[in-house]
Amino acid sequence: MSAALRVAKDEWRYWLRSKLALAVVGLFVLILLAVSLLNAVRMHEESHQRAHHQTDSEQTFLSQPDRHPHRMVHYGHYVFRAPMPLALFDPGLDSVTGQTMFLEGHRQNSATFSATSGSADLGGLSWLTPAMIFQIFAPLLIIVLGHSAVVREREARTLATLLAQGVSGRALLVGKLLALLLFVALLLLPLIVSAAFSLGRGESLSTASFMVGVYFVYLAVWVGLTLLASALLQQRSSVIASLAAAWLVLTLVLPAVAVNVSSQIAPLAGKIETELTMLTEVRDVGDGHDVDDSVYNNVEASLLEEYGVDRIEDLEINIRGVLAQNAEADLTDTLNVYAERRMNAEAHQAALLGWHGWLTPTLAVADASRALAGTDLAHYHRFLRQAEDLRIGFVQSLNRVHAEELSYIDDINRNRDEESWERARVAATNWQLDEFQFQPASTSTRIANAGSSVSMLLTWLAALIALLLWNGGRLKP
Amino acid sequence: MSRWASFENELRFLLRDRAFVIWIWVVLGFSSFAVWTGLAEVRQQRESIAFLLEADQKDRTSELSKQGDWGSAAYYAFHLTYDPPSDFAFAAMGQRDAASWKHRLRMLALEGQIYEHDPGNPELALIGRFDFAFVVAFVLPLVLAFLLHDLQASERSAGRFNLLIASTGRGRSLWRRRAVLRSGGVLIATIVPLLIAGGVSGTRVATLASATALVVAYVVFWTFICLWFARSKRSAPVILASLIGVWVLLSTVLPAGGRAITDRLVPIPTGAEILMTQREAVNDAWDLPVEDTMAPFVQRHPEWTGYVYSGDGFDWGWYYAFQQVGDQTVEELSSAYTAGRTERDRLAGWISIIAPPALLERLLQQLAGTDMQSVLAYEAQVRAFHAELRTFHYPGLFGGEPFDPAMLSALPQYLPTK
Amino acid sequence: MDSSQKLQADQLQVYRSGKEVLSGISFSVGSGEVYALLGGNGAGKSTTLLSFLGFLPPAGGSVSVNDVEVGTDLEAAREAIAYLPESASLYEHLNAYENLRYFLQLARITEDSAAIEAALDRVSLNPESRTRNLKEYSKGMRQKVAIALAILRDTDILLLDEPTSGLDPSAIDEFHHLVRDLADAGKTILMVTHDVYGACQVADRIGLLRGGKLVGEFAAPEGGRIETETVHRAFSERESGNEQVA
Repeated sequence: MSAALRVAKDEWRYWLRSKLALAVVGLFVLILLAVSLLNAVRMHEESHQRAHHQTDSEQTFLSQPDRHPHRMVHYGHYVFRAPMPLALFDPGLDSVTGQTMFLEGHRQNSATFSATSGSADLGGLSWLTPAMIFQIFAPLLIIVLGHSAVVREREARTLATLLAQGVSGRALLVGKLLALLLFVALLLLPLIVSAAFSLGRGESLSTASFMVGVYFVYLAVWVGLTLLASALLQQRSSVIASLAAAWLVLTLVLPAVAVNVSSQIAPLAGKIETELTMLTEVRDVGDGHDVDDSVYNNVEASLLEEYGVDRIEDLEINIRGVLAQNAEADLTDTLNVYAERRMNAEAHQAALLGWHGWLTPTLAVADASRALAGTDLAHYHRFLRQAEDLRIGFVQSLNRVHAEELSYIDDINRNRDEESWERARVAATNWQLDEFQFQPASTSTRIANAGSSVSMLLTWLAALIALLLWNGGRLKP
Repeated sequence: MSRWASFENELRFLLRDRAFVIWIWVVLGFSSFAVWTGLAEVRQQRESIAFLLEADQKDRTSELSKQGDWGSAAYYAFHLTYDPPSDFAFAAMGQRDAASWKHRLRMLALEGQIYEHDPGNPELALIGRFDFAFVVAFVLPLVLAFLLHDLQASERSAGRFNLLIASTGRGRSLWRRRAVLRSGGVLIATIVPLLIAGGVSGTRVATLASATALVVAYVVFWTFICLWFARSKRSAPVILASLIGVWVLLSTVLPAGGRAITDRLVPIPTGAEILMTQREAVNDAWDLPVEDTMAPFVQRHPEWTGYVYSGDGFDWGWYYAFQQVGDQTVEELSSAYTAGRTERDRLAGWISIIAPPALLERLLQQLAGTDMQSVLAYEAQVRAFHAELRTFHYPGLFGGEPFDPAMLSALPQYLPTK
Repeated sequence: MDSSQKLQADQLQVYRSGKEVLSGISFSVGSGEVYALLGGNGAGKSTTLLSFLGFLPPAGGSVSVNDVEVGTDLEAAREAIAYLPESASLYEHLNAYENLRYFLQLARITEDSAAIEAALDRVSLNPESRTRNLKEYSKGMRQKVAIALAILRDTDILLLDEPTSGLDPSAIDEFHHLVRDLADAGKTILMVTHDVYGACQVADRIGLLRGGKLVGEFAAPEGGRIETETVHRAFSERESGNEQVA
């Protein structure tokens, strides 16, 4: 073991004397700082803006004057999703999904206005995030620093000297591995700072430390790849050429290829397409505005029976409100079937994409990172579902007010004249709204969601370490 | 000995270089896969449009058959608008993955509808597609760096450098020949699949020629960069690391900085502002005196000054008037949003001059009609079509023209101009 | 100037990375002559060869090939010279024929299969080996291919950089015979070496190079060889003197 430590120490001395290594690390840190700063500023502004819009929207809704309750159903309400604490490091899907949603009766709107939609278009890689820097560019740093670890000794014939002096090949590789892992640990410092910062904004300690751990494993995979190439190949130039090629394929090509494959294998019907299919089904449910619709004859009959009266005018409650409740409930059931189907299809497609993590650790770490940060597809769907809960909640409470606080007679006569129009209203005190606060999944769920990606990363790491140890036993000068 | 014979000699030599041959096959594979899946995607989008056109027509016909007045006819009839993929979209999907290219509109306030998003899977949109533009803009420079960085360094480290120069008289023509053949090989492996796919998709020859010219210019640019670095007497790993550094700078750092600067220099109203303002205007109108709605409406449409509100609680004319007034209240915000995006795109165009990968991607997307300009052009078409719908319905709603179902056959049809 | 002198250095002074490596050496080599520059490490031997090829422009004095200053017509100089670098490296992934053809075409010489075969015969490269990749060759075999290349270039002048270093004794012997044959056929040969015995065996004249200066010259007597003992003594003296200085 002491031999390995000596090797590790020597490796560090070599780096500290290499101008190239220092320059590359310096550049990396500079870019990382700049991107982190930009991202932090943007996040701060956005979260401020969204919180502001959210309160604004709630106050506007609550301060509406007395009016017909169904009008409030159509008046609607906005929800805004505040960024997750760890989005500071990995904004994930936040930049491509809408963060604003308009909630109203009879409809499930889509989340609109993603950050990318209005931004300047400067190519596919211009949306830099700190997470992306770790996923894509940190491996380059490891390659530049570590590619020469073994092959340098081989080219300078010091490898033969070392082995002849009785340093085992395994001890040598373990030493180099330790040196590089220590470097990786240092590289993770900015992430550790981000994670610590997220604790102050309500992130749990286990999620934050898991996040750091996942990136450590990912970068360790690259350390393994780098050392393996350095130990197997004869020339420094071929080591760096092969590693650079591997980097190109694993970080840039395969993830994008996986996108094409997934969208071809499991194509996703567009929203409009689904809606058109759904429309026919919705028509069978009936229109809640129309009392005479045959679908509601049953409702009418059972209400009359329940209250023991003969005419709907004699009911204690406003049948139009009851019908609106029933219609909204039925419609929502149908809408939810389609929404769930859509979300399942998306999740299926995403799972297919995630499976490619077996082929490239970059996809695996990206998946795990988003799952932990709460910026993944699952959390986007959570946002949609929570918004829908809020929607159906306030719509149905308004429909209840419609049934209980507005008389049927006033209601049907509302269009007769100006005075009737005034009478068909309820008090503004009935406008009630739950405050919208996006609830992220629990720590354990998020860690579980990251599970399959993490197991991919661990498999990569285990395989590489096994290969390294095997190669260490037969290392030749 | 002729120039051609020297090239032939060098070519024969190059074909024995395993690394080169492998890279050529790999590039051919990348390019073929990119255009092949691009074609499949375009086919899917066309099928989807065909399905939508039919379903949309059916739905509208069935809805209209139930309506007995102009107001309901306008309310229940949805109209499909779409931006069909161009004959070159397979090569550069660009904004089609991020921005909506299809809408179903009705005659309600447009601002509430035009920003409706019909997105694909966000998980896929985040990573981005492996299309031809991506392969050329980002992958190709790295492949060129791999193939060209050790042009001289490898000969130096193998001790052949002096012998080679002494044999040729001057080295420059030798390095030039070797570089031309390597880059040429990469270029051919990239372009051939594109041309074949262009033939399959019926792309206009002019478009293909422009795309080819762009790719050639881009490959020449990177070849010069690689040669400039390859001349250095430093070792191959140092040269390669420097070239990758240049790549990182040009393809990510500068564009990311440019994007941050552009977005900061040109603020645009947040989408939420537009939606909420518009929505509030429409909603508040219910409680406002009818004149408050009709005054700004008539100001815009003096021809309907004669319209008289029926006096009941609800009136279709009034209803559509406040839909339009809703649009009018956010006109300023909305055009600021459009102008802002135009300005950002213009600035991005200038900035991309110092970031060739971004420039190439933008130019290919421009050829493919998948750039920001095309998105804005489609939005303009949607607006124009929505205006047509209003022009068609307003005589019925405000001019008292009696409802005649037969007239609905003359409903405006959305026709993409592309 | 004597037109029979194919290679001529006149008060040649060369700097490499700011350090004076040759400080004004003068010598010349004529047709049919083998001139050996003898010296220890860092004496400036390879630098002299590279100057004739125009890789290192002189800071003072001149180098000429065929009576033309190298700097005025680089390509002419290189065309007139076949150069055999130290531990000649050719392409490992090509066989002997392919290597020869490739380098000949670089030098714009139309390859001739019979000539190539003859050249390989002349350097006595084992016929079975000729179609094998150089990866599998011994150092001596590689050297033979490189010499075959120099022969095939069919130039009047050959520059040989440490041609026998790393070869086994029988290969060295074979090589010396070949060099003598070439000189007898009228070629001008300038070789640099640190092998006193080899130099005496093959050279018509020997120049002793030390610290960038030509410190002695030995010529072979008519019809005989330079006496090894004399040169060896001078070489050792100078070298040990060198050590004392250092």
